[in-house]
Formats: sequence, structure tokens, C-alpha cells
Amino acid sequence: MKRETQNVLLLLLGGALCKIAWNGSYLRYVKPSVLPFLVAAGAVILALGLISIGRDVLAGRSAPDQHDHAGRSPWLLVLPVLAIFLVAPPALGADTVSRSARTLAPRQPAIGFPALPAGPAPALPMSDFVTRAVWDDAGSVNGRQVRLIGFIVHGSQDITYLGRLVISCCAADATPVKVRLEGRRGLEYLPQDSWYEMRGQVVPGSARPDTRFTPTLTVSDLHPIPIPREPYEY
Amino acid sequence: MAAPTTEPPAGSPASSAPWRRITSLEVLCAVLVLALLAQAALIQVLDIPAVRTGATVFVAVCVQAMPFLVLGVLVSGLIAAFVSPLALRRVLPATTAAAVPVAGFAGMALPGCECASVPVSRRLMQQGVPPAAALAFLLAAPAVNPVVLVATAVAFPDEPRMVAARFLGSMATALVMGWLWARFGRPEWIAQRALRQAERPPGHSAWVVFTDTARHDLVSSGGFLVVGGLTAAALNVLVPASWMASLAGQVLLGIFVMALLAVVLALCSEADAFVAASLSAVPLVPRLVFLVVGPAVDIKLIALQAGAFGRGFASRFAPVTFVVAVGCAVLAGVLVLGGLR
Repeated sequence: MKRETQNVLLLLLGGALCKIAWNGSYLRYVKPSVLPFLVAAGAVILALGLISIGRDVLAGRSAPDQHDHAGRSPWLLVLPVLAIFLVAPPALGADTVSRSARTLAPRQPAIGFPALPAGPAPALPMSDFVTRAVWDDAGSVNGRQVRLIGFIVHGSQDITYLGRLVISCCAADATPVKVRLEGRRGLEYLPQDSWYEMRGQVVPGSARPDTRFTPTLTVSDLHPIPIPREPYEY
Repeated sequence: MAAPTTEPPAGSPASSAPWRRITSLEVLCAVLVLALLAQAALIQVLDIPAVRTGATVFVAVCVQAMPFLVLGVLVSGLIAAFVSPLALRRVLPATTAAAVPVAGFAGMALPGCECASVPVSRRLMQQGVPPAAALAFLLAAPAVNPVVLVATAVAFPDEPRMVAARFLGSMATALVMGWLWARFGRPEWIAQRALRQAERPPGHSAWVVFTDTARHDLVSSGGFLVVGGLTAAALNVLVPASWMASLAGQVLLGIFVMALLAVVLALCSEADAFVAASLSAVPLVPRLVFLVVGPAVDIKLIALQAGAFGRGFASRFAPVTFVVAVGCAVLAGVLVLGGLR
């Protein structure tokens, strides 16, 4: 591959990184704290491409004869560029939840749980809710209405779950958390992967080893929401 | 590598056309136009859930690794431009056997994941560092740097000894591989292009060498990173989930499966501790094996190594590293964690 072409590819690649950093879609792939590194990487890639182009232009027409030993591998850089600019893959969803046998094995915190926020129905992160349902002996979620945000996952035997993915670095290490939904008719007709805010109450003692620590939520109210800016929990 | 060369074009398609060469720039334009035209079809393919998941994982691996790769190529460029082979030789002990541990512990200073260490260690080789020492650095850097160790401590709050076990297992892997290479390795297994000294062309300033080296390393390793990302995405979708469920209480089978998983999942070494921690059904030693094998040998790394050092190198180095890493991890687990548990 010619130097010029490599430089154009670098501009495209740096541009792609800057684009997802700018419009916020990087949150589909990595966690928020990666942003400064992502911007820096995009800027460095752009700069390397621009410097090289500038140098070749200044050097006149001698540049086209220069070839690198890089072989054909640089062509593959087209793939992430095309994937980001043309396809922009969505955040992981129900497919990952049903594919993974791993579920977040909630760890017993060393200290007890703080009380739930006051108010009629506090909003909880899904992972926090599940951890409390499994481990909190004081039953801080029992008898309380809570609000959870997640997407619909249809499991086997007509069971409907609300799912969410927890990532620690990037989407490749996503771990699902899920809550079984009950108490309303028509839950099984909600479209897979659609995002909802569920209001409801945990069924005490439902997160047991035989349910694979998946608590059940008795839904009292639900309404569809747009996909959140941060689709994962961290 | 940074030097402009006048060799015949290696990879440009249709370079033999007698009338007029189709340049790679034109090919690139054609590819982009075709992709734009086919955009609707591409998006339709994403309707298949497994493809969609794979595409997201692919982009995620690339996006996550790119900052580390950029860090790696910048360090590589700095070494090429400002660190003379002579200075490196003065820092390292004269005998290779003694240089290996020095290089291994020097790995603690590069806070990146495995993508950063490949270009740096290749540059070290080109600057005259013995390959054995550069390889020890390659294996140690992604596994024992402070960021990874802190991440491990955070992921295993109930098992503080996991950090020590991981450090011991990974460092042992790096040193054993370094010494093995010093004893049995042959220079001809490493592709010539990887060892060729970067000669600074007359009249080129250090700045030109720095930017040109970094640019070249970025372009060549970036392609191989993409290979790794593609493979990791495919396996992420294809590896059956039931593998995990069957491992509860099985130490020996667990070691085997977790070692393989570390290779195929190709997680960033700063994230793998959290994944290992979430597999709470699996015994501790297999999870330690996962943490030691992952940064030393995985699909993404094999692709990067094949690109940097040649296929002949990767096909010998990766399997031996795998065996050594599993052995060192089990040993470290028995010593530090107190038995096979």
C-alpha cells in the first residue's frame, strides 16, 4: 500500500475515533472514562497522517515512489472505519443477555447496604437492585416500590426479563444482569430489546440459587423510554 | 523501517498492469464508494442478532485498544528517535541471561495493555536489545504494570493474594520465556524486517524519525489489531455459553477451559480481572490461569506478533508461551493461594 493511501486511511481512522467521541456513540463500545484517551488517540492519528501528507507535499513528487514494508495488513484498517461511519453498530442488548451463561454474581459487600433513597419509588441501577435482592439481609428493597431502567429480554418458557449489561472496560467484557418481570398482562408481547422504565416491587426471597439469583419484580407500571445515552452500567 | 525505500511495491494490487498502474489510493476510493452504495445492505445484515452483537464487540475491541496502540507507537517512535542503541546497551547487563530480568521488571513502567507492548518490544530489538530481553519485556509489560495490578485488587476485594499470585505468575512466565529464547531461540525465526536496524537517513531530524516511525508502526500494527478484533468478536458470539456453567468445582478441567477462554476472548489486560471475578462459580486457580494467560497469549496478540515478528515466530512463540503461562500460573496459585482451589 502506498504511503499516500496509508495517510488517507489514518485520516479516516482518526476521524472515526473523533466522530464517536464527539457524538457520544463511543458509550456503546467503551465506558465514559475512556473519552480523554479516545480523543487523544484520534488527535494523534490525525496529526500523524497530516504531518506525513504535509511532508510529502513539501518534498514534491518524489513521495509516490516510496513504499512501506507494511504489506497488505493496513487494508484491514478500512473495516473499523466503515463499521463506524456506515454501520455504527448499536449497543449490546438482549442477544448478549440470552447468549451469556454468566450473570453478574453479586458479591456480598463488606459493609451493609445504605438505605434506599427516600421518595415513593426511587430509581435504582439494575446491578444495585439485584445485589440488594440477593444479599441484603435487612431487606432494604422488600416492600418498596422501585424504578428500574433496562431492555426487554424474552427467555425460554415465555418468561420476560428486564435486562441490562454491566461493563468494566469495553463491550467485549459485558456481563448481564436481569430481573424477571411478572404481575402484568401482555409483558410477553413487548418487543425484544425495547427500552422500558419499570416500576414495581421485588418478590421477597425470589433471588435464590435455583433461580440463578434472578429476582422477580412485580410490575405495577411501565412506560417505554428512548435508549439512554449511557446504555451500560459500570 | 522509517527510512524511505526504493524497493518495488510489495502489496499494491494490479501493479503489473502494463498500461497504467492502478494505485492503492484509487482502490481505496473504489472500496469507499462501493461501501457507501451498499450501506443499506450492510445495515440489513445487522438485523441478525448474532451479527449485530459481533459487530459491536468488534468495534468495541478496536476502540478500546486504539489508545493503547497509539501510546505504544509513540513510545516506539521516541525510542527510535532519541534512544541510541549504545545507550540501551549501557543500561542493560552485558549477558543476555541477566538482561532478561531487567527487561522484565522494566515492563512495570509501561502502563498499557498488550497492544502497546508489541511495537515497543520490536523497536527495542531493532535498537540492538537482545531478542530474549525484548520478549521478556513484551510478556511482562501488559501483565504486571501498576494499572493492571490495581484493577486486579479492585476486582478481587476478598482475595488480596490474587494480586501477588498474578504478579508472580506473569513475571515468571516472562522470565522463563526470555531465558528459553536465550537458550533455544534462533534469530532466523524472527522475520528479517523486524530486526533490521532503523537507519536514520542523513539530513533527517529526530522529529522526522519520530513521526515517521510512529506512523509506520501504527499503520502496520493497526491492521493486525483489526484481525484480532474480528477473531475476538467471532469467538465471543460462537463460544458456547454452557462451557462456563459446567466448571463449578472442577479445578483441572477449569484450568484447561479458562486457559483456552483467555486466548479466544482476547480481553484487555485491564479488564480481564473483572471478568474473572464475575465467574464466581469457577475455582480460584483456574481464574488465576485466565489472568496470567490472557496478557501473554491471546488471539489479538498472536495477530499482532505475526505482524511484527513474522508468522514463523508467532507459530513457535505462542504455543510455548501458552504452556509456560499455564504452568507458571498453576505454580503461583499453589504457592500464593495455598493449594489447588
